Amino acid sequence: MDKLLFNPIRLKIISSLINNSECDFNYLKKITESTQGNLSIQLKKLKEEKYIHIEKRFSNNYPKTSCSITEKGKIKFEEFFTNLITLKDNG
Amino acid sequence: MNSTEQQIEIINSVIKSTKENLKPLSVNFIFWGFLIIAMSLFNYAFPSLFQSAQYSGLLFWTVLPLIGMILTVYYNINIRKKTGYETYLSRVIKIIWGVFNLSWIYIIALSFTLKSFHPVPPILFLLSIIIIITGLIIKFKPITIGGVFLTIFTFYLNFNPGINLLLVNIVGVFLGLLVPGLSLFYSKSDNKSDG
Repeated sequence: MDKLLFNPIRLKIISSLINNSECDFNYLKKITESTQGNLSIQLKKLKEEKYIHIEKRFSNNYPKTSCSITEKGKIKFEEFFTNLITLKDNG
Repeated sequence: MNSTEQQIEIINSVIKSTKENLKPLSVNFIFWGFLIIAMSLFNYAFPSLFQSAQYSGLLFWTVLPLIGMILTVYYNINIRKKTGYETYLSRVIKIIWGVFNLSWIYIIALSFTLKSFHPVPPILFLLSIIIIITGLIIKFKPITIGGVFLTIFTFYLNFNPGINLLLVNIVGVFLGLLVPGLSLFYSKSDNKSDG
């Protein structure tokens, strides 16, 4: 099993990004129910492993962070999900 | 619940929480339906205003839709900011309608240069195809049917060149945009479909 996705916050991030083409930082904060600092750390870890792509830009003079999943991230999530289903089926 | 089930539950709950909200799309349909019908009625009621200058009609049909385009783009950007995410479905719809907007500009530009070229039939045909695609993508039958109706209508237009294009606009847009838009706006289950 992929240790990176075993963390619930990182799994929530990837699950959200697999379903959307793009997610904002604040939305991910709401979905993961985590603090700003913790979310930043988890996003950084996923980015370092090239699971996600992070884009930072300015909108109305405010910094805005958007995240999207990479091809590697999609493959890793699919593998993780398949393993979960296999484990569940095998009891 | 063991760890595996907990992980599956996390994935399920996150995916369920990011469903597509189709209400903004219906607002776009209703807005354009009303705008084009109002413009057509105005043009139909006051034809003398559009015969006073060489390009007055063309300018009327270019400037107001351009303002409408800016307003709808601004509205859609605000909706995207509020929701905080963009589904693949809304991205596809955005691209399709973006292509339509570019095609519309191209057809209008062509009608400025070619005097014999009337922009209404190709725009209505293109619009009907885009409506059908949108209806099929979001799996909402009234929109698909509205698009099919508009396609048949524009096909019929080719064999009746003497028909009043303003009346064509009113009937075509009413059935192709306004009715499907209102139908989507008031559809059940909070206008949400799988993203």
